[in-house]
Amino acid sequence: MSHVDDGLLHAYLDGELSPAEAQGVDAHLAQCSECRRRLEEERALIARAAELLALAAPPDRELPPFRAGDVKPPTRLWWHVRLPLAWAATVLLALGIGTYLGRGVERARQPDTTAYAPPAERRALDARASPELAEKESRVKLRGSARTPPAARPPAPAPARAVADSIAPLRREPLLARADTPAAYAYGERAADSAARITHGKASQDERDRWQKGDAISVDSARRVLGVDPLVVPGVPIEAFYRGRSIGYSGVVIVEQALDSNTMIEVINARSAPALLNEVVVTGAQPVRSRPAEAAPPPAPRPAPSPGAGLFHDVRGPLSADSLATLRRLLQPLRP
Amino acid sequence: MPQDLAEIYRTTYRALVRFLYRKVWDAERAEDLAQEAFARAVVHKPDNARGWLFIVAANMARDDARRAARERRHLTLLTAEPQASEPAADDALHVENERTRVRAALEQLTPRDREVLLLWDSGVSYEAIAAQTGLARGAIGTTLARARRRLVEAYEAGQRGEHVARG
Repeated sequence: MSHVDDGLLHAYLDGELSPAEAQGVDAHLAQCSECRRRLEEERALIARAAELLALAAPPDRELPPFRAGDVKPPTRLWWHVRLPLAWAATVLLALGIGTYLGRGVERARQPDTTAYAPPAERRALDARASPELAEKESRVKLRGSARTPPAARPPAPAPARAVADSIAPLRREPLLARADTPAAYAYGERAADSAARITHGKASQDERDRWQKGDAISVDSARRVLGVDPLVVPGVPIEAFYRGRSIGYSGVVIVEQALDSNTMIEVINARSAPALLNEVVVTGAQPVRSRPAEAAPPPAPRPAPSPGAGLFHDVRGPLSADSLATLRRLLQPLRP
Repeated sequence: MPQDLAEIYRTTYRALVRFLYRKVWDAERAEDLAQEAFARAVVHKPDNARGWLFIVAANMARDDARRAARERRHLTLLTAEPQASEPAADDALHVENERTRVRAALEQLTPRDREVLLLWDSGVSYEAIAAQTGLARGAIGTTLARARRRLVEAYEAGQRGEHVARG
């Protein structure tokens, strides 16, 4: 075998030869003292070159976090956007959960609801921007609380007059009496100074946890979520619809209704998740007739469920258990 | 940043800075260019990200070097002339002088020899060097042997020149 050339020796010393090539070099070195001498020379040369290059090395610094550099191509946007997006999502989530306590945040934007709501509701919604106005509006509406003519609801089990009559005593119900359980409603104070808290913090923490109130939605969205008309207490001004969330329910709509200027009730409309159908208590669900096509909002996303089936309804608010039970009995599907 | 690129960043960033530093001779600039190379890798998602990074870095350094060409010629002239180095230079100055000498020695290599040497010193394999430079893989060892020899010779020649000039 001829002598090993420099290139092969360097590749050998750099560990860049294939095992077969390296074996060939080994075999030659074993019998060639000249090449063994050169091998050591090249080894020293490689070490010296590396030593010199090390003299010309940049200062050893901590590995910096990856930063974008100067180029900003569009596809790199996700890198810039993802963190802010995560924050935005977090904030939105917090807002959604916190809407219950800070409703004002969401009130300004409900164009859909406003557009589809009957005039009385729309006034109430418009008035949301100004709390004082809202109060006045509510009072005005309460005087003529039978806002919907009974004729509009043929299947209504109770005439509007009766609804108004059954609601009227609730409105006169002293606040102290309404605080039926201290845990749920810790509002022993007088009506005058507790009004705001009654409106904004009426439910207990447990209640809030069970029915988390999300974004305000339009009435049509509410119908889509539930697949049927949401139930409401007829004759009571509707403040807003909110998307809700609760474990075991696939669709939750919370309807805020202003019983009077100080008293906001919430009607829970929840479609149970299929797995829990059997465990659901169906209260106050009324058969729902198919709506005329022209007036109907977009159809329900899933095959129309048997009306009322799998739907859970509840009414919560700063009222006594009896009063809430009365309201539950009054629940009616909201007609377009 | 894709997961594998994040890993490559962790393992290759310093090598890339090292590679770039020998081209631009400015640590901050080398780091900036390395970051930029990674930023481009995020966009282009090259298959062989490591090799791709060095190619991009080499191109960026070449562009950068053109801008600094005049400065470098000036520095080479300075190095070629007897340096007025203080006899009792402090450590920092000594390191700086050594760096300047190595730099001057590197400048005397052919561009291709220098490229291969710098790539190898940055941890690039023969195969990747061959892919990047267009040389045959079998030629890398020969090129490296020549580059190393010339680097050492140029460096020692520079030192001798200084000693002769001083003496």
